Amino acid sequence: MSEGMLCTKTHEYVLEQGGKYTIGLTDYAVEQLGDIVFVELPEVGATFTKNESFATVESVKAASEIYMPISGTIAEVNEDIISNPELLNEDPLGNAWLVKIDSNAEDIEYKDLLDYSDYKEEVQG
Amino acid sequence: MTKQTFLHDKHIELGAKMVDFAGWHMPVQYTSIIEEHKTVRESVGLFDVSHMGEVFVEGKDALPFLNKIVPQDISKLVDRKAVYCQMTNKQGGIVDDLIIYRLHLHKYLIIVNASRIDEDINWMVRNKLGFNVNIINESHNYSLLAVQGPKTINLMKKMGVKELPPFFSIKRGELVNVNLWISRTGYTGEDGVELLVKNEFVELLWDKILKAGKEFGIKPIGLGARDTLRLEAALPLYGNDLDEDTTPVEAGLGWSVPNNKVDDYNGKEIITHQISNKIDKRLIGLKMIDRGIARHGYEVFYKGEEIGHITSGGVSPVRGDNIALAYIKNLSEIKIGTQIQVKIREKLYNAEVEKRPFVAKRNKS
Repeated sequence: MSEGMLCTKTHEYVLEQGGKYTIGLTDYAVEQLGDIVFVELPEVGATFTKNESFATVESVKAASEIYMPISGTIAEVNEDIISNPELLNEDPLGNAWLVKIDSNAEDIEYKDLLDYSDYKEEVQG
Repeated sequence: MTKQTFLHDKHIELGAKMVDFAGWHMPVQYTSIIEEHKTVRESVGLFDVSHMGEVFVEGKDALPFLNKIVPQDISKLVDRKAVYCQMTNKQGGIVDDLIIYRLHLHKYLIIVNASRIDEDINWMVRNKLGFNVNIINESHNYSLLAVQGPKTINLMKKMGVKELPPFFSIKRGELVNVNLWISRTGYTGEDGVELLVKNEFVELLWDKILKAGKEFGIKPIGLGARDTLRLEAALPLYGNDLDEDTTPVEAGLGWSVPNNKVDDYNGKEIITHQISNKIDKRLIGLKMIDRGIARHGYEVFYKGEEIGHITSGGVSPVRGDNIALAYIKNLSEIKIGTQIQVKIREKLYNAEVEKRPFVAKRNKS
């Protein structure tokens, strides 16, 4: 499931599948957040640059901004997690992705992203 | 340096997520705040609240001294009875909110907030001139456990406490051969007890309560659920809802301020004036109508005008909606049911003024 997944230091992942890029929160991130009770996602068609805040995820304790791992345009948002935010705690790397984007991001935007396994080592180390 | 309670290793063993709170390294949750919250509402939960402070006030003038530092009338207390009150400054602002227990005429136990122990002691010492009292901070010698929820009585009975003290009373007791104080108080809106015990016995007590509570579905509960529970019960949190610039009347705590108290107390003139006159700001409860969570510091609007701010807010795990406490300008047209707005991330979300508490209290017995 984490094959090909690239992660940010702010705990988002991006995964390329058939020309579309899926963006979500890492399992480490949702574990740290605890019970997720609210998700706010952008409109389809909105464009964001790398590191720009595009969504908000709220746990019982606090609201957290979510940042773009790479630049792109929102192609699809995950309606399921808007109505059932708790899905994010259960399956963040699978069904509980946040958005899918179209992206022409240059290679340089990928330079600071970590392979999922390296990321895990870093956050758990 | 961050302080640890005598149960710190237990929390780690139980897999708690730890956070710094008021200078203490404390468990915020063991499994899930929502699950822990529901456990307390449905069965019984065990909290380590040893960060709270314990101050004894004793001496010939203990009663007049306490009556000087709080608006509440301490002369109404009888032995082993407790009262919720606030310690006020000369302007009527709240230095801390407290529970005062009368052990006997010349000796009182005060439970204070962890974040305020130093300020409290300083303020008490500054006010003791002319009073024959000793103020003894015993916080470092005592641990405090809270057992909260509808199954508390059954659990305590099983553990050999034949009769619990009445609501807001304290008694000496014995649990698993440990001498302790049992108080019928809490911070959840549920029936429950708080157990005050010398540090060296708290680990044993914690283990035995968890073991005996198994059949009732007991769980250890972190500070995260403590916060959501007290918010549903609309119990104020010092630092969020109460501070030195807010009086008990403004904070909606007028019920704990008698208007016929004879003794003079700090801030009396301002507070008694506020009881019988219009105040500038007041505390309200609200529930969100639009999908959004109001949080501490967010602005509150009415008819396009900013009228105040949220002091505590979040989800209500029991109701499934979002609730908050706020201070607003005291406009007479704002009543229960009035629609107001909360500004969340630069957008206005509809909310409605609601009667407090948000969830009915079940601790009056």
